[in-house]
Amino acid sequence: MPLEMAGIARVGAPEQRTLARFPWHLALLALAISALGVWNLASASRSAHAPVWVTQSVFMGIGVVAALLAAVVDPRRYQRHAWVLYGVVAVLLVLVLWKGRTVMGARRWLSVGPVSFQPSEFAKIAVILALARWFAIDAERSPPRGPYGLRGLAGPAAVVLVPFALILRGPDLGTALIVAAIGGTMILAAGVRWKALAAVAAIAVIGATAAWPHLKPYQRKRVETFFNPEGDVRGAGYHSVQSMIAVGSGQGFGKGWGQGTQTLLSFLPEQHTDFIFSVWAEEHGFAGCVLLLLLYYALVASGITIAGNARDGFGRFVAVGATAMIFWHAFVNMGMVTGLLPVVGVTLPLLSYGGSSVLAIYVAIGLLAGVATRRFVN
Amino acid sequence: MTLGERFGTERPVDGRRRLVWAGAIVSLAFLLLLSRLYHLQILRGEEFKERADENFVKELRVPADRGFMLDRNGRVLVDSRPSYEVFFTPYFCGKGCDEVLGRLATLLSLSQEEVQRVRDHERTARGLVRFRPFGVKVDITRDELDVIEARRMELSGAVDVLPVPHRNYRHGVAGSHLFGYMNEVGAEELGRLNEELERTDSDQRPYQAGDYVGRRGLERRFERELRGVDGVQRVVVDARGNAKRDSDLIPEEQRQTAAMPGQNLVLSLDWRLQEFAERTFPGTAGVVLAMEAKTGFILALVDRPAVDPNKLTGRISRAELAAIAADPLQPQLFRAIQQHYHPGSTFKVVTSIAALEEGALRPGGSVYCPGHYTLGGRRWRCDKESGHGPVDLEHALGASCDVFYYALGERLGADRIARWGTLLGLGRPTGFDVPGEVPGVMPDAAWHDARIPGGYRPGMALNLAIGQGDVNVTPLQQLVLYAAVATGKVWRPQVVLRVEGADGEVVREFPPVDLGRVPVKPETREAVLKGLLAAVNAPFGTAHGSRLKETVLAGKTGTAQVVALGAKRLKASEVDYFERDHAWFAAFAPADDPEIVVVVLNEHSGFGASNAAPTASAVVRKWLELREQDARDRQGSAPPTAAPPPAPADAPPDLPGKPARPARAAAGAEGADRAS
Repeated sequence: MPLEMAGIARVGAPEQRTLARFPWHLALLALAISALGVWNLASASRSAHAPVWVTQSVFMGIGVVAALLAAVVDPRRYQRHAWVLYGVVAVLLVLVLWKGRTVMGARRWLSVGPVSFQPSEFAKIAVILALARWFAIDAERSPPRGPYGLRGLAGPAAVVLVPFALILRGPDLGTALIVAAIGGTMILAAGVRWKALAAVAAIAVIGATAAWPHLKPYQRKRVETFFNPEGDVRGAGYHSVQSMIAVGSGQGFGKGWGQGTQTLLSFLPEQHTDFIFSVWAEEHGFAGCVLLLLLYYALVASGITIAGNARDGFGRFVAVGATAMIFWHAFVNMGMVTGLLPVVGVTLPLLSYGGSSVLAIYVAIGLLAGVATRRFVN
Repeated sequence: MTLGERFGTERPVDGRRRLVWAGAIVSLAFLLLLSRLYHLQILRGEEFKERADENFVKELRVPADRGFMLDRNGRVLVDSRPSYEVFFTPYFCGKGCDEVLGRLATLLSLSQEEVQRVRDHERTARGLVRFRPFGVKVDITRDELDVIEARRMELSGAVDVLPVPHRNYRHGVAGSHLFGYMNEVGAEELGRLNEELERTDSDQRPYQAGDYVGRRGLERRFERELRGVDGVQRVVVDARGNAKRDSDLIPEEQRQTAAMPGQNLVLSLDWRLQEFAERTFPGTAGVVLAMEAKTGFILALVDRPAVDPNKLTGRISRAELAAIAADPLQPQLFRAIQQHYHPGSTFKVVTSIAALEEGALRPGGSVYCPGHYTLGGRRWRCDKESGHGPVDLEHALGASCDVFYYALGERLGADRIARWGTLLGLGRPTGFDVPGEVPGVMPDAAWHDARIPGGYRPGMALNLAIGQGDVNVTPLQQLVLYAAVATGKVWRPQVVLRVEGADGEVVREFPPVDLGRVPVKPETREAVLKGLLAAVNAPFGTAHGSRLKETVLAGKTGTAQVVALGAKRLKASEVDYFERDHAWFAAFAPADDPEIVVVVLNEHSGFGASNAAPTASAVVRKWLELREQDARDRQGSAPPTAAPPPAPADAPPDLPGKPARPARAAAGAEGADRAS
């Protein structure tokens, strides 16, 4: 009884202000991108077996609900349970390696009854919350910890590396790299000593060199062809070149909705998921791409602003992590489709088809909204 | 050291500075993307546009081999033979479509109708549909193939000739109704089928206009199992649809997706028995059915007349279809399950069972037959004008005395007869594998009240008792009825033993299904069996001429009136074909432990004894022979050391554990011979 009373007292009073502070622009941006995404999928899926855009709309609906739930709950509650979520996700990641469903040579899917999902998508959220908790507690120490040295980085690095290694083992290089990028961004946001940074960079270079022979041949080839995409048009460079032809042939204003020939005539097998941006670029041209870039930019920029205005350390780090997740996804995916980056399996937020991916992105946006709503200490 | 203190000091400043950094990096990244897009779409856009236009993937379907239908011994009944189909892809003829189509029409001598169909498609196809190959003509001849290959250049890349398996019914008309046939999918049906595929999460590819789909019979019922999964062949072509040989842009592994053949149906038919029955049955129209008495699996199913499914599967002309539809013999009708007949005297077993069970006839009771029966001032004639004299049940069933059954009919009334008819499986569909069954009619008093002006009158029960009046059955129901009399169980008649994958593994097995036990007292069964034995084996029996020395046959003849009897009796040859009576014979053997049930219906042929019974007993004899032969073969092939165990008495010995199936390749080669 007293606990409940306390709860009501705490939440009840600032209710109105909470609503007023809800970041409507964030919601609007997310919904706008989602709408474009479904519209784009409807074009991409006309020749396919099932109308995936209908399914995607359902995923979007579930995503919005999940985002609202994530936004309503007080971030301090996440802080308390961050490790529980982290543990659950770690177990799921082990489970997926052990008895997951194999799709195109990689174990990524876990089935529970009729629902199957990718635990790796939720690993991103778990890493964000766990790291945010770690840094928030460090910040409350007295004296507060300054920029991290090598020894201080060991803990946060471990938090990132466990899911990273498990996902990489899938093998799912794209998602593993995104997890690492999110973790790296948050660590940088927490502050790292220059010397430590240099040392980590050196370790990364050495590590990558050491890991090179252990990559799957196709992964190695993708990186190789990245440096010379037109050299091997038939093999690994195929994706890059076809996708560049698709994007480039869109020219200024595109071929029109449903009129893309490159992407739809099956040059690109993963057109619904990783290469969805090429459908957009081909059909809507440079103008359409600028619009989409602006929307993503606005989304990321508001994420950064929210991080800057967060009322406490935990909120700030959660915001940094969620923003980093959206940013890295968008940048790596579009970079890959336009031939700037090697081909790795990374989805484009809210445009790529996939329930787990949509859900994870919406939860991230929900977390951002939650932090934004409580930006000042009551 | 409170919260506020720390947040007021150095950390936010630090944090903010880092966020400014982050903002700068993000802005830079987006600028990078923007400039890259500008480079690709604006600066090099023209170049990529050209490359895109010279660079199409033509997706050609590799049709899956439709599953076979095999008999119980693995003999191929229905398979596919290679054929060639001409496809047309509108996009690649550009502005010259009319010209290309005109040439194609001449080369293939297409009819006006066919040309119009392709032209309509060409005109209405928009967007990406123009890239999709559209079927112009199926199953072209060798000559047509040669001509098209020779004129390749004139026809442009818009015309493709692809090998497509064409359905091949090896035995022509035989089994036609059961197998069904295939033809082009209709527009509405297309949507429905694809919706169903989607709903059931099938990995099969959607149907397209021009695809063939199973019609009727097993082809339709097992469409999904038989169909298989089509493969795809991807070819990079230029703007005119010609394959680009120098640049194989598509990675090796994506150039071809292999087709997955459909599943095979293993039927319970023994084709040797089927062929024998086809040869032996003399009727122009009619049905011969043989079934395992203890499982309900069909052994032979002759159904006449029928149309050759090879003819129906393909582009049959309208005139030919009209001729089939106008044929007064109705060759499209699957008589075994889709036609109602009066059972005639074969129905007397039902009346007999009802009378004994309901106490309307005490065991050993008899009736005097003067050759007619009177009720309410009306006279009902017996089959034998001079009368049978005093008859008991054995005699009445054996000699088919009508008066005996008029008397039982009056005592029982329609309701009590109908009750037992229903218990024995009449008046409702049997649940056979092939859809489209008619239910039959097992009328009770309420039925008459509802349908007949004036309602139910006791005289109706008299007609009902001898299988005339309003009782209607299908030949398959007769089979189920006699199997029920023989074994005491109402079986669901089935013809598919199992569905097998292309490499022979069993996907689905169909066990025998009995739909209920008939609650008949042993004494009743014995009394009725005695009558059925008398009909075949007693000198006075109606089917005495068809008795067998190899086994004890029990059965009942029937002659179903088609039109009301006139004042004078006429011989069959004296009346018009369509007014002649139907001949029935239903039998089972061996009588003491029945294993096979046979029903023969010979339409408009007169008497059951002379025109149906001989076929039935010949089929039973043949079946015994085959069984013996199989047993000998098994013994012969068994290693001499291991004495072959005798087949268990209760298992039908001709049901092989796993019949040897011919390899697909061998069957295909046979088909190729046929085609060339």
